[in-house]
Amino acid sequence: MTADESREDIHAYLAAFDDIPGTTVFTVARARQGYWINQFAMSLIKPENRARWKADEKAYMDEWPLTAEHKAAIQARDYNCLINMGGNIYFLAKIISTDGQNFLHAVSTMTGMSVEAYQAMMLAGGRAPDGVRSIKEGT
Amino acid sequence: MARITAGVGTSHVPAIGAAIDLGKTQEPYWQPVLAGYDWSRNWIRQEKPDVVILVYNDHATAFDMRIIPTFAIGCAESFKPADEGWGPRPVPMVQGHPDLAWHIAQSCILDEFDMTIINEMDVDHGLTVPLSLLFGQPDAWPVKVIPLAVNVVTYPPPSGNRCWMLGEAIRRAVESFPGDLKVQIWGTGGMSHQLQGPRAGLINAAWDNRFLDMMSQDSQRLRAIPHIEYLRETGTEGIEMVMWLIMRGALGPDVRQLHRHYHVPASNTAVGHLVLEPVR
Ligand SMILES: [Fe+2]
Repeated sequence: MTADESREDIHAYLAAFDDIPGTTVFTVARARQGYWINQFAMSLIKPENRARWKADEKAYMDEWPLTAEHKAAIQARDYNCLINMGGNIYFLAKIISTDGQNFLHAVSTMTGMSVEAYQAMMLAGGRAPDGVRSIKEGT
Repeated sequence: MARITAGVGTSHVPAIGAAIDLGKTQEPYWQPVLAGYDWSRNWIRQEKPDVVILVYNDHATAFDMRIIPTFAIGCAESFKPADEGWGPRPVPMVQGHPDLAWHIAQSCILDEFDMTIINEMDVDHGLTVPLSLLFGQPDAWPVKVIPLAVNVVTYPPPSGNRCWMLGEAIRRAVESFPGDLKVQIWGTGGMSHQLQGPRAGLINAAWDNRFLDMMSQDSQRLRAIPHIEYLRETGTEGIEMVMWLIMRGALGPDVRQLHRHYHVPASNTAVGHLVLEPVR
């Protein structure tokens, strides 16, 4: 199989990502858009930065080229909003662990479900893929 | 010559690492997750591999947005367990195998895989959780480890076919290494899970089990699974399963399944585990 025979058109490849319900794929466009959200979050991997962030979140954010919108979403721990602005969950996870928050709880906040309902859904086998594969096809 | 004697597939869920570190493995929630590894822990004690080539992904730990290598091979003498935001896991230092790692790097580059070479790197749960699952809590890991980090975070990650071909190139590299080494290759990550957005919590046991079936039967079809299928069927983070194809490609055309385990859930994730042996 050679690349030119098999490779899908790049525009079709990327466009398909927008057809998955309730899902944001971390494309290069989003990586560029959210660059500083992610670099800021990443900085919390260092204990000295975690300490400074915990002491004064606003002052710490002011050291980074973040917009007012970014800062508001970070302070609100609005992970859906941060992901829409180009945040990536593995980077945002540094905020979650610095908060000492259980990761499953943080993930549940993005689903519109209570923590208890989300936890119960996972114990019962998770969210079924039926109906959430494709917006266009409704499958 | 050095030989690849077995392949291991396993999820690398960080919460499993935390459960092991905090002594929670006998709790009813974790017991069935861990029970599926009992067979493998016995098996690997008898197998005594010299080196594990451990395919995993870095989760914004060693690599931030400044550098995004598609395939990175760790050639250092040792690798420190990383602080991922809550302090490093209390696990031993990971000892590398620089001679074999550099040999693989050179051989793969000559085979047209343009590897990134890493001489200093901390390793995150993606690498240390599989070691804990297979070896428990020793004072020192009983094996040398060559970390092979794959970008599955920023799109596009490598295709399944490319991963398979890298596995084939790794096998050629290992078999051309002078010295009598028993080498295993592990593919880690997955299975179905989505950690973000309103669709978070997605699990697709039927798809995951077909994937596990195909690892030992009809494997060629695995190479053609497009990224969009992983995303739709197994969630945004299910794409990690392409890393299992590097392991599978390195085992050659036919394999025998020695052990299999599947459990839902571990935190937000479906846990899958396979032990495979090449058939020559
Ligand atoms: Fe992972």
